[in-house]
Amino acid sequence: MIEQTFERLESRSRERIAAAMSREELEAVRVDVLGRKGELARISKEMGSLTAEERARVGKLLNGAKQGLEAALEARKAEFDRAALAARLDAEWVDLTLPATGAPRGSLHPITIIQSEIEDLFVSMGFTVLDGPEVETEYNNFDALNIPPDHPARDMQDTFWLKSGQLLRTHTSPVQVRGMQKLGPPLRMIAPGRVFRNEEVDASHEHTFYQLEGMMVDREVSVGNLIYFMKTLLSSIFRKDVTVRLRPGYFPFVEPGFELDIECLICGGAGCPVCKQSGWVELLPCGLVQPNVLRMSGIDPEEWNGFAFGLGLTRLAMMRYAIDDIRLLQGGDLRFLHQF
Amino acid sequence: MKFSYNQIRDLVEGLETAPEALKGLITMKTAECEGIEQIGEHLARVCAARVVSVEPIAGTHNVKASVETGRYGERTVVCGAPNCRAGMVTAYVPAGTRLGAATIDKRTVNGVESDGMLASGAELGLNRDAEGVLELDVEPGSPIPGCEPDATIEIDNKSLTHRPDLWGHHGMAREVAAITGNRLKDPVNPRRIPAGEAVVKIEIPDFTLCPRYSALVFENVTVKASPLWLQYRLTAMGLNPINNIVDATNYLMAMLAQPMHAFDRDKLTGDTIRARPARPGERIQALNGEWYELAPADLVIADGAGPVAVAGVIGGMDSAISGSTARIVFESANFQAAGVRRTSARLKLRTDASIRFEKSQDPANTIRALAMAVELLEQVSPGIRLVGGLADAYRPKPAPAPISLPLGWLDRKLGRHIEEAEVTSILESLEFGVSRQTPGVLSVTVPSWRATKDVSLKDDLVEEVGRIIGYGSIPPAPPMVAARVPAANRERAFQHEVRAMLAARGYTEVYNYSFIGGEAARRFGYEPGALVEVANPIASDQSLLRPSLLPGIWKNVVENARNFESFRLFEIGLEIHPANAGADLPRQVSHLAVCSAARQEASPAAALFELKRAAECLMPGAQVRPVEPKCYEHPVRAAVVDWHGETVGRLFELHPSMVESGRAAVLDIDLEAMERARPAMKRYQPIRRYPSSAFDLSVVAELRELVGGIEQKLARLAGEPLEAIEFVRQYSGPPLPAGKKSVSFRLTVAAADGTLSSEEVGAIRGRIIDGMQQSGYELRI
Ligand SMILES: [Zn+2]
Repeated sequence: MIEQTFERLESRSRERIAAAMSREELEAVRVDVLGRKGELARISKEMGSLTAEERARVGKLLNGAKQGLEAALEARKAEFDRAALAARLDAEWVDLTLPATGAPRGSLHPITIIQSEIEDLFVSMGFTVLDGPEVETEYNNFDALNIPPDHPARDMQDTFWLKSGQLLRTHTSPVQVRGMQKLGPPLRMIAPGRVFRNEEVDASHEHTFYQLEGMMVDREVSVGNLIYFMKTLLSSIFRKDVTVRLRPGYFPFVEPGFELDIECLICGGAGCPVCKQSGWVELLPCGLVQPNVLRMSGIDPEEWNGFAFGLGLTRLAMMRYAIDDIRLLQGGDLRFLHQF
Repeated sequence: MKFSYNQIRDLVEGLETAPEALKGLITMKTAECEGIEQIGEHLARVCAARVVSVEPIAGTHNVKASVETGRYGERTVVCGAPNCRAGMVTAYVPAGTRLGAATIDKRTVNGVESDGMLASGAELGLNRDAEGVLELDVEPGSPIPGCEPDATIEIDNKSLTHRPDLWGHHGMAREVAAITGNRLKDPVNPRRIPAGEAVVKIEIPDFTLCPRYSALVFENVTVKASPLWLQYRLTAMGLNPINNIVDATNYLMAMLAQPMHAFDRDKLTGDTIRARPARPGERIQALNGEWYELAPADLVIADGAGPVAVAGVIGGMDSAISGSTARIVFESANFQAAGVRRTSARLKLRTDASIRFEKSQDPANTIRALAMAVELLEQVSPGIRLVGGLADAYRPKPAPAPISLPLGWLDRKLGRHIEEAEVTSILESLEFGVSRQTPGVLSVTVPSWRATKDVSLKDDLVEEVGRIIGYGSIPPAPPMVAARVPAANRERAFQHEVRAMLAARGYTEVYNYSFIGGEAARRFGYEPGALVEVANPIASDQSLLRPSLLPGIWKNVVENARNFESFRLFEIGLEIHPANAGADLPRQVSHLAVCSAARQEASPAAALFELKRAAECLMPGAQVRPVEPKCYEHPVRAAVVDWHGETVGRLFELHPSMVESGRAAVLDIDLEAMERARPAMKRYQPIRRYPSSAFDLSVVAELRELVGGIEQKLARLAGEPLEAIEFVRQYSGPPLPAGKKSVSFRLTVAAADGTLSSEEVGAIRGRIIDGMQQSGYELRI
């Protein structure tokens, strides 16, 4: 009898809970059923008239009904919360295809990028990175490199002279001289930097460009070692195994002196306009250090020898990024520079 | 330098290597070949032909000629040459031959079918004579003597700088013979130097300037065009045929690298030739027609009356060969390289002679060239006769000492073993003398033509051997050296960090030139005369070295404003200032310039504050202190940047008059000062264990009073318990009186060893308020 009462109450209440459309309606159901004056309270008041045995039985039923309904109420309430949250978040819709905010990315100059890579590579092989001044003495730029006054090799480099009689360095090679004096033998050094030649500017000629000088002086340094370093360097820069060849080249501060060519990366050696159909691209001058150059910097050539090379960073950057106009590099046009 | 392939082949016995292959070999083993030009390909088809009969063609200057060509049978051609006549032997070009850009076709001219053509020297590319068809003296059908298809091999002059001998064909032929393993022929017969007393005297006051002067005198000279073979050969060598005597000097020079000069003997005064310094005020009209003022630093060749040539550079007009020349003095001399180079540079006159002499030519070569001249002149000027013997003045020079070449050392230098026999054979093929000094050591004698400057050390022999074996035969190998950590370059590493940080914050790196002009200098407050000046600038607006990166940055701002609403950029580069007293070199300082520019700023002075933040990121704790503006700075938006007690740069807006529209803020940092100020080590600060307390204070101040200054005053008054002070906001307007603003700060205070009680916090706050009020500030509490 009493069981039926509870059953009816419970099922009726569950229907009302399910039918409630708002938190307020749900609260009304709670007050009606579970409230202080609600139906369950009323039943529990009536329990005084029951025997102890019956009271225990009804009490258990009462608790069961109460817990069941409370859980149903909570579950329904959670549904409302979830729906409310979903509605609130839905209102926060944004269009993620709109542009990003904050400063857009900046970029490094292409020569900086290449230069840093080469610096890292050489540092990993035990080379020190040295800096030298852009305004140099005639002695460091020429004489100390075995190019005395009136030497025809001075024609190979059109020099910017200063009124003071000094000059803008025509190559990074004077840093060899500074490096030998500063570090003493044995040494491994590179020196990237800006150099100057008094030349008319056009798409392939600049009066200001970048080189990277390298030098190694030790007890036993051979042409084979030089080839090894150059191959390692170029394979790293071009990210593939490159084929190189050495041929005679004349630079007064090296003996023997070489021009190093790489097999044309555009045509793979078959011949194309970039390599003037030769299959090879002239890339860097190098050689074993001329004994007089060592001697002038206080190093005994009977005891020490070495190699030196000069890499055209500007040219390398142009090859790497297929830049066809050298003037872009120092033109300051962000439409160009943003691309790196 | 241009080489005739045929000439080289004439000097190398049995040379079979084709020009294209030879180009590759020379490039890999001797000097860089820039290209090959095929010349005279049509000459393979051209032959001599006898004109059998000539019929005029009415109404034209042309004739119808029947020719017997031998090789092609009898042909009929139309010819317009004035010298075309029956009985003559001339050159016949068959139809189908390519002549320059055109192909000779069988075609009808003046109603006559012309089957090929008769050609002039100019049409055949043999010389510049276009007056008439060639006059030949050979059998019909035979080729034009000495005129075969040839190839001009052009070698990069730069790669011949150290090789005086390679400025002549004989020198290059020696290389080719060594490379291909063939025998070299010597075109010189030294026995042709005549014996007997010379009829001219040579005087050389200083043998340093003129180590040797040799000459021969000839009479019964006929000046006329050179034989065809010589004209054609000179053309293939890139030289212009002029007349037989001048052509002979040029040909000898091209063969032996010995510049020669021919004087008209009858135009020389007296019989003594002097190689002496020019006297002040002396001048000469050179062969090119120009007048040159000479200076005592220039060496001249003088006769009894004055200079007749600028030594080693150019001859004089007055004694030049002409059609009436009957006697000549043939000069073959050697001049000091540096002197010729200086004079040639001073006169701005580079000639085939000066280019050779400045490479240090071999004094022994003068008489070789004269011996060859005797034979050549007999060919080109039949009937010519020598007068007297050789005039030859020189100071004997000891032969250079042989070079010791240790073979083990050679192997180590190259990184590859080479057998002694191979080393010997390579050096001997290049005409070095080789003998065994001790086991494993060779004694090498340098030939005179390599001994002037080129080869003196054993290192020079490494190149001789290395290039002939081919550097490609040397295996790449890492060196066996001690592993050492390279010395760090802190400045450069730091500059790379700065670059990376700025790029990540949105700035794009630019590289600007080191040159500026006077106007830009003045615009940035520099007196052009006080800057480092270029003596030979590329343009007048690039004559000064930049004392600041700012002119370049300004240019970037102006130019990029055309393409962008807003942009950010930076540059790291050297400022170049005049040398400090006692220093050798100009002061060259690494600087960083950062710029942010916008046509429309999102908030007032947004770009300036953005750069201030960039400066703080580069230099944590950096302070910005307003200062007097410079002429290019916004009058009230300029400050210096201080870091750890050092002023490291400036933060400012470019003067608005310099920016067409919008604003450009600039941060200019002395990277060396920044590097000096940079703390060497960072040290960790323990994190506070006890809670801190915070309260706000608002200070009323004059509108232009610096917030930073108020903050410092508050901080000083707060004293030791102050953990942090932070600007919150500022406000001006009602209810504040005009000219005043209220600035709010949040102060955080704490004790080192516990929690501050509210009374303690209150006391600190009270102390600050009292202090500020005593300084005359009103506080809004
Ligand atoms: Zn190619």
